[in-house]
Amino acid sequence: MQDTNLYEMLIENDLNPFILFDSNGKLNDFNKEAEFLFNFVNYKELFELALNNASKSYGINKQFMPLSYGKFNFYAILVGYINDDEIALRLFKEVILEDTHKVIAKDIELVNIYSLIELSKSTIFIQSDINIQEIYDISIPEIKININNFLIALNDSFTLFKDECALVLKVYIKTGEYEVIDNIKYKILCIEFTSNNAINIPKNLLKSAKNTNIETFTKGNSLVLEFTMIM
Amino acid sequence: MKNFIALSPSTKKILKVAKMSATLPVNVLITGEAGVGRKLLSSTISPDAQSFKAKELEKLINSNNIDLEQFNTLIVYDIHKVTNKQEFINKLKDIKVVATSFDIVDELNEYFAVKIEIPPLDTRVEDLDELTNIYIKEATKIYSLSILKKDIKRDLSGNGITLKQSIYKSILLKSISKKEMMDTLNNFFLRELKDGKNYKALLEVFEIPLLKASRKIFKSQLQMANNLKINRITLRKKLHKYFGE
Repeated sequence: MQDTNLYEMLIENDLNPFILFDSNGKLNDFNKEAEFLFNFVNYKELFELALNNASKSYGINKQFMPLSYGKFNFYAILVGYINDDEIALRLFKEVILEDTHKVIAKDIELVNIYSLIELSKSTIFIQSDINIQEIYDISIPEIKININNFLIALNDSFTLFKDECALVLKVYIKTGEYEVIDNIKYKILCIEFTSNNAINIPKNLLKSAKNTNIETFTKGNSLVLEFTMIM
Repeated sequence: MKNFIALSPSTKKILKVAKMSATLPVNVLITGEAGVGRKLLSSTISPDAQSFKAKELEKLINSNNIDLEQFNTLIVYDIHKVTNKQEFINKLKDIKVVATSFDIVDELNEYFAVKIEIPPLDTRVEDLDELTNIYIKEATKIYSLSILKKDIKRDLSGNGITLKQSIYKSILLKSISKKEMMDTLNNFFLRELKDGKNYKALLEVFEIPLLKASRKIFKSQLQMANNLKINRITLRKKLHKYFGE
């Protein structure tokens, strides 16, 4: 999208995702937030959402509904069309009232992330014969975390897959995204658990993850833990 | 020091977890029934750490009779017995704690990043076999006797504790002489008579083992009566009385 006028500039920099589809569901235009959103949901699904919530005749329709795509949560959508060629969708993010300013946690120690994953995995699956496929980025260096709290969050995550026969475990550094804490840019580390069944994140995991500054969300049949790589 | 026996698939995994957690500054909670090896496993994780019974440590802390700063790691037995668990844990927050408990303690869930549950001995076939061999070897050395494994009646109601007791008892009873048996009975009768037991009530102590042994050796009541040299009707009455036959 080119910043040709004020309206377009506002849309491009909006905190809420904006998408413009053609009549076949192809993308005509989208802003930065929509680009992030596409990491968690296929645009075709969003096109269906727009069609299902469009007004009967040309115009704008507001709809309040809870929607969740990965780590994005929305409370409402706006669907508009003035001809049969294009349809626009805007999603409204849920307002988070808590303080989102990130700080480096106390009691952090330098540790090999894989030793913690191995320990947690071995502990939770003592009585299980689950088949785990590990896809690890072995170039990840030791990082600083609160070991006790981090292990509890890992335990809570692995526990979700206790009854599964197979699990794919992926550890990687997120490309193109950084976390800025106190003006220092940090890379983001991801641990992705994928099984054959859909996952609901339980309260205990949300709590333990929050205790150690881990962001949790689901992506298809995957549970993703994201956290800052402090070295 | 004895080692934690880990020959069964589950205990092999447990030992792996224990060894991994030994290298990390994390608190470990070991749960399981009495006699499954909780203390041995805690010593495997922290062999040089000082150990305390939780209740005693709580008393020492509350009375300010212990300097906790001197410890990097502590082994705490039976942490479920502590009265004020949160306060107790707060006092130990700068120390690595390896604790044992009968069961998971919900209040301490967030404190222990590693929780290891040791299963009962009767589910760990390979460990049970190895422990049986170890205890037989120990006991036969002490009593200078040999015994076949099949002649031992193993009691697993209290896991390793009762297993050891039952093996020692089997071997000890095998070695007992007539005089020792009579002395034992003498002590037993002294106790029982003081409690008001009479001849009739105490006779079963002699008769039941005798009849059980006779049944094992002689296959029919006729043979039993002939060999014991008692009347068949008397024998039948006794068998009925003690075994309902």
